[in-house]
Amino acid sequence: MRIDPFALRKPAALLGLALVAIHLVLALFSPWIAPFDPTELVGGRVDPPGGEFLLGTDALGRDYLSRLLHGGRMALFVTFTGVVAAVTAGSLAGIAAAWFGGTLDDVLMRLCDVKLALPGILFVSLFITGFGESFGVLVTLIGLVYFPGVIRIVRAQALTQVNLGYVKAAQLRGESAFSIIAREILPNTLDVVYVEFAIRMSHAVLLLSTMSYLGLGLSPPTPDWGLMVSEGVGQLAFAPWLVLFPAVFISTLVIGLNFGAEALAGALGLDASRGHVGGT
Amino acid sequence: MARAFLRRLALSLGVVWLVTVLVFVSTEILPGDALQVSLTADEAAQMTEDDFARRRAELGLDRPAPARYAGWLLAAAKGDFGTTIIGKADVTEVIAYPLRNSVLLGLVTALVAIPAALAIGIAAAYWRGRAPDFAASSGAILGYSIPEFASGNFLILCFAIWVPVFPAVITAFTKDPPSVLLGAAFLPVLTVVIGSIAHLVRLVRAGFIEALNSDYVERARLAGASRLRIILRHALPASVIPALNSAALYVAGLLSGIIVVEKVFGYPGLGLVLINAVEKREVAVVQAVSLIAAVIVVAMNLLADAAVMALDPRARSR
Repeated sequence: MRIDPFALRKPAALLGLALVAIHLVLALFSPWIAPFDPTELVGGRVDPPGGEFLLGTDALGRDYLSRLLHGGRMALFVTFTGVVAAVTAGSLAGIAAAWFGGTLDDVLMRLCDVKLALPGILFVSLFITGFGESFGVLVTLIGLVYFPGVIRIVRAQALTQVNLGYVKAAQLRGESAFSIIAREILPNTLDVVYVEFAIRMSHAVLLLSTMSYLGLGLSPPTPDWGLMVSEGVGQLAFAPWLVLFPAVFISTLVIGLNFGAEALAGALGLDASRGHVGGT
Repeated sequence: MARAFLRRLALSLGVVWLVTVLVFVSTEILPGDALQVSLTADEAAQMTEDDFARRRAELGLDRPAPARYAGWLLAAAKGDFGTTIIGKADVTEVIAYPLRNSVLLGLVTALVAIPAALAIGIAAAYWRGRAPDFAASSGAILGYSIPEFASGNFLILCFAIWVPVFPAVITAFTKDPPSVLLGAAFLPVLTVVIGSIAHLVRLVRAGFIEALNSDYVERARLAGASRLRIILRHALPASVIPALNSAALYVAGLLSGIIVVEKVFGYPGLGLVLINAVEKREVAVVQAVSLIAAVIVVAMNLLADAAVMALDPRARSR
């Protein structure tokens, strides 16, 4: 991949990369940064911001700053694991579809059509109704939701490669289909794969936080921004910060991911705006 | 053109059929069968092995899965989605009015969002690289980055608590007439409209820029067509094609947005029914809602395909 450093110096790109970097640091190091344990009852109920508890306490008396700092950890871990799985499997399947064509291609494309017809929230709801909202189920479902979309995008990119000389050469050398897919074509679709990963991460974070807000995702007492918004709604009239702070945290993360994806696409000379929007 | 459309119609029906398989399988691979799922703990404790076997036969659970799938599909096609576990209510009746209310919310949102997005997207493309474009493009990213549950609650805070103009929670009932529901639904509609416009603006912008750079717009310009005529007659029809091509994504996004705002504002629609059903493990209701949503997405996508064929001569021959 060839990165154009000029495209990364735009204000929007810098903002996006900075936001993502800040959130990554917070998610990774929150146990050491946070002043209190995020699940321990340390203060009064709904203490306002300021004083001993910098951002106040929630309805149970837990330090809000500590909960906010921890709030991205689980969500980022679940979405990252799910999206890495989706992008890895989807890329290989997408290239395989382009390389083999025929029945495999048809089957995978119908899979994409089915996914397109069913909004992510409903797909996840359908399965957690029976399986519950355990960690493994959530990771699997996030992976399954984004798998077909990745296939479609990577397949389109791979189709521009399958008839090029280096692929023909590999074929004539007698390399196996897997070797051609993974070692010849995959490296030449990586630009698209990276952008795809960034965009799907933003979608997945939105989807998971929305599911958690609806009570169908991560469950209490896990500190999670979506959950914190839904727990704070009851106190909206007299303690609006309980909703505003987590809303700002989740929004800045997704804004960062989207600006970051746009910047990455720009730096690689791709267009991020086509056919991607509408994650949840 | 008729042939191309019939081909799309057949594909759409195929997709709907595959969705029914997915919806059926999602419950089929559950631990335990539909009988165990459908019993409350008390009921299950009182039943003997014989009772279980008899109930299984009554419910047809002793038949093989493909036979049960066929039965479920035929019933669903006739609008019969079974009964709920708690209260044994008819699922079709449970979802009928909420479905109407959600469709209402979606229609109003689309009617507001689509013209607004066209205007903003075209303005951004026309003045691309300048202030209006920058404002529209950054605004769009903000618009679809901020989750509806955050923006919805923020709107409640602004317009129901700090400046109390609207009610924070919808006071309408499920079976109220549409006028009452919509009268109370200003903030929910506004919440979904923001995300909806944000989604469409960048597609319209991209389509319009492509159209402005095309040979036929160049030809019209050289032929001396007025600026307004070029925009309205030549570039506008072509600029909506990318947006129409991703209609499925748009409708799916709209449905998700509606589910969320119904929870935020307590609007009596299908989203609330769905969330309650998942919490209570009401499999039949979740199946019905998923299936209806998929049919709506596929039908709207088919309509959009037809519109693309009407607008773009190249699409007719494909």
